[in-house]
Amino acid sequence: MVAPVEPKPGGTLRNAFGGVLGFFILLLIGVLAFSIRLFSVIKYESVIHEFDPYFNYRVTQFLTKNGIYEFWNWFDDRTWYPLGRVIGGTVYPGLTLTAGTMWWILNSLNIPLSVETVCVFTAPVFSAFAAWATYFLTKEVKGIGSGLTAATLLALVPSYISRSVAGSYDNEAVAIFALIFTFFLYIKTLNTGSLFYATLNALSYFYMVCSWGGYTFIINLIPMHALLCIVTGRYSSRLYIAYAPLVVLGTLLAALVPVVGFNAVMTSEHFASFLVFIIIHVVAFVYFIKGILSPKMFKVAITLVLTVGIAVCIAVIAILVALVASSPTKGWSGRSLSLLDPTYASKYIPIIASVSEHQPPTWPSYFMDINILAFLVPAGIIACFLPLSDASSFVVLYLVTSVYFSGVMVRLMLVLAPAACILSGIALSEAFDVLTRSVKLQLVKLLEGPLSNAGDTKDENSTAQNDVLKADKQVATNNKTEDVKERPSKKNRKKDKENTEKAPVKSHNEKRLLALPLEASAIAIILLVVLGSLYVIHCVWAAAEAYSAPSIVLTSRSHDGLHVFDDFREAYAWLRHNTEADDKVASWWDYGYQTTAMANRTVIVDNNTWNNTHIATVGTAMSSPEKPAWEIFNSLDVKYVLVVFGGLVGYPSDDINKFLWMVRIGGGVFPHIKEPDYLRDGQYRIDAQATPTMLNCLMYKLSYYRFVETDGKGFDRVRRTEIGKKHFKLSHFEEVFTTHHWMVRIYKLKPPKNRMKGKTKKPKPTSKPLSGARRDGSTKKNPWQ
Amino acid sequence: MAPRSAVFCLSLYLLVIVFSVSGTVGVSASSDDDLVDELESLQSKSPSGVIHLDDRLISRFLTSVKIPRPYHLIIFFDASSLRSKSELHLPQLRSEFAIVSESFAAHHRGLPSASKLFFCDIEFGESQSSFSKFGVNSLPHVRLVSPTTRSLSDSDSMDASAFSRLADAMAEFVESKTKISVGPILHPPPVSPRQQAVLLLALLIAAPFIIKKVLAGETLLHDSRVWMAGAVFVYFFSVSGSMHNIIRNMPMMMTDRDGRPVFFYQGSGMQLGAEGFIVGFLYTLVGLVLAIVTHGLVRLKSVTVQRGMMLAAMVVVYWAVGKVISLDNWKTGYSVHAYWPSSWK
Repeated sequence: MVAPVEPKPGGTLRNAFGGVLGFFILLLIGVLAFSIRLFSVIKYESVIHEFDPYFNYRVTQFLTKNGIYEFWNWFDDRTWYPLGRVIGGTVYPGLTLTAGTMWWILNSLNIPLSVETVCVFTAPVFSAFAAWATYFLTKEVKGIGSGLTAATLLALVPSYISRSVAGSYDNEAVAIFALIFTFFLYIKTLNTGSLFYATLNALSYFYMVCSWGGYTFIINLIPMHALLCIVTGRYSSRLYIAYAPLVVLGTLLAALVPVVGFNAVMTSEHFASFLVFIIIHVVAFVYFIKGILSPKMFKVAITLVLTVGIAVCIAVIAILVALVASSPTKGWSGRSLSLLDPTYASKYIPIIASVSEHQPPTWPSYFMDINILAFLVPAGIIACFLPLSDASSFVVLYLVTSVYFSGVMVRLMLVLAPAACILSGIALSEAFDVLTRSVKLQLVKLLEGPLSNAGDTKDENSTAQNDVLKADKQVATNNKTEDVKERPSKKNRKKDKENTEKAPVKSHNEKRLLALPLEASAIAIILLVVLGSLYVIHCVWAAAEAYSAPSIVLTSRSHDGLHVFDDFREAYAWLRHNTEADDKVASWWDYGYQTTAMANRTVIVDNNTWNNTHIATVGTAMSSPEKPAWEIFNSLDVKYVLVVFGGLVGYPSDDINKFLWMVRIGGGVFPHIKEPDYLRDGQYRIDAQATPTMLNCLMYKLSYYRFVETDGKGFDRVRRTEIGKKHFKLSHFEEVFTTHHWMVRIYKLKPPKNRMKGKTKKPKPTSKPLSGARRDGSTKKNPWQ
Repeated sequence: MAPRSAVFCLSLYLLVIVFSVSGTVGVSASSDDDLVDELESLQSKSPSGVIHLDDRLISRFLTSVKIPRPYHLIIFFDASSLRSKSELHLPQLRSEFAIVSESFAAHHRGLPSASKLFFCDIEFGESQSSFSKFGVNSLPHVRLVSPTTRSLSDSDSMDASAFSRLADAMAEFVESKTKISVGPILHPPPVSPRQQAVLLLALLIAAPFIIKKVLAGETLLHDSRVWMAGAVFVYFFSVSGSMHNIIRNMPMMMTDRDGRPVFFYQGSGMQLGAEGFIVGFLYTLVGLVLAIVTHGLVRLKSVTVQRGMMLAAMVVVYWAVGKVISLDNWKTGYSVHAYWPSSWK
């Protein structure tokens, strides 16, 4: 991270030079943002990551194959069997449409990239866009220097990298760009008062609504800022232009997105914007009346307006309250509620609380995800207050809300990251500005010292020189502020007059102050550069090591080299090649998207957790003994059950570790499943101390079936203990496939017996040879050692 | 001196017990009613209706009473020495217990069932022998002594895993064992009616002043320094992971086996309250120092002061950043290190 060279406008040539330099810096920032995200492709391969991206990939494939209308009407019968899912109406289409369009454009230019390649590289491309959007946003707030610094920081920030490495094809990849760009356009409108930008702002908001459910953040933050401006007496016609068109156009456009639809006017997340919409009209009306009436008349009028206005407001608020109170969740979706009341989710919605990215972060998470920015942000906040403008107050508000939300859910660290980058950019840029200026001034003094003999002349000389530089500087800053304020001056003459009146006073003040001591400044610059290099080192490391793993392919490094665990794809490929096309596969919901996308088989539940009962059914089956579980699965036409098991290789996020959530979610709907039955004295264990319910449940059996044959003891490397029940047989399920490292195990439901009378004991003819073959593989040395 | 006096007290108690036992044996016919009356009077003395038992009362109401006793006693086992251990939730459970007791009293006032069940608690420090009579060696613990229980250690104990459901679980437990229904639990409102009235009154009185101030544009809200301080505070609050502490009910600190305070927890998934605030403070400190240097120090005239303060600032910043890095390294095992292509190594 290098302090961007801020070109000093001395003449048109220098200006032009600065512009070109700035352009190239921006270009390089874009390249940096793109290339730092390619570690995953270089280190692993060009592959889609994790869970949700597989669904998006599948949708994109469908879109490119069948066209947009088919996509819009797509009813997917491969998932949530037997319910199915209406994809067209339940996804945010922004990402898919973006990638689909990119693919289509590339193909019409005769660049034959596969859909997968386009999907893999969508996120890095949009990170570059996001960095540029950050530049524009910060430039509106504090000038070019801060803009470039902030863009550089954003290109590297680990929190954003974690969601946008190549292959991480998820909504956030494009949504963060849309978020920043919407904010930029809002600020731009606020600074210029131009309807053109206001319209663009609404369109950009529409793109954001298309892309991510996080758009509610925008539609609450911008009203908050408008309200803040009104309350602190900063109302202006520019604010009105920035706000009112956004609400009207934005809401209309948002309602066009099927997944939002009437929610855009019906749910509480959006009510704040309407309330502020009313308030801003009342305020605008008051200002208007104030403008056309004499002060005396105005006093009379204001009482009238206030009474009417307050009456209308109360009426509207009453209606809103009634509307809100009549809905069961008070009109708020569970996820939003858990933001407002942080303890809500853990109490009432286990399925939200169960997701690891919804956990509240601890302080090391901040150090990991925004690194040294955590140190710089307070300085940025203070810089924004000196002086406070509409734009800088918006940035501060953005930071404050997002930092609070990030404290509730670690996943929202992603929303915090741009704000942290912007404010740190401002802080760093201002610090470098002051320090380099000091060094420069003092150097000039030092160099001139020996040249002039007489003390008097020297003094004069240097002060004159000083003043010239000062004036230079002043012009630069004035230019900047004028740039920003030029257009509003037409509309808000009064305010601008105040500004221009204040400016000279300020410049007088600034002439005196300025520099810090030379050597201290030099050391401080070095320290800041060291701090910046820490950031770069950390970011590169995070991009390369921490966030690049695709999680579908795992690697581990040990003294005898690199080990690759490709068990997931092995299992999905097995399913694709060895099962009937319409067989149903049951697994915990985490693996639903991958199964449909990679194995192309129907699943019962998937990562779109829209039907809690259905998930609870699967959870109940997994927590039940074999026979009831078989009955549940059979009633759902399930042919195969897939479990993920990490006990052999020490893969910690396996089904046994997620099992308590299955019990909780299952027990939430089917009360005969009780969590205490699976715990011994409140402790979750699978060793000899485990409860009989635990040792007999399906998940235990499917995970540990024949496990003792691997090492003779049945030692689980994740739980670091020997398992409780080692030798048992399966009566209703048979093992059909276990992957190389035992990470995925697939079982087939045995067909129902013909007659209960005269039980014919089948000795599992089909599974024998297979399991024999597996046994050979399993006696191999453990790859983790 | 203390142990001897304790022994003395104990022997005195024993004497009292012997006397009371002989007394109850003597007049056992009428003593049932007496006992109930006594319990009721004890009950009325406590605000929540929970009777505080000690060794003497245990023997008076339980061990030395002819079976069947005319009442159930449900006993909450408390220990003031363990109340500070947040993972046991003793204070919270004790207050839940009081809520159940109050609910029971409210639903059974004037009914004969009111004298069938009494809520009691007992403290470990003052009644250790009773704890051993009950065979209680872990807390939290709730026991129900039914009229027919002969040996105290045979009494029914509440399932430890049910404590997470608080008052409801206790009420269920009582109902399942005694067949006396507690009735719906009456949770106290978060703000009592009197407080509500006071708040409302204060608001009403303040309203004209507030409105006047708002109209005049002189509120704290118009002072940007307040906003600045607020913004920095929210930042500090969030970065220190306070939401985590609130959601997870983390204590400010723990004590290790030797009783020394532990402020820092090793392992990244969890943090203690004090730990978060310390690091949050360091995070914020660096930013504030930087802001002071860039915006405040520049305006000073004296070069010597500038130089001195800058050096101090740099030392502070260097120390704070280094401290956070080393703490992070200690806690998560991650150290800042470069990533080189493998061919460069």
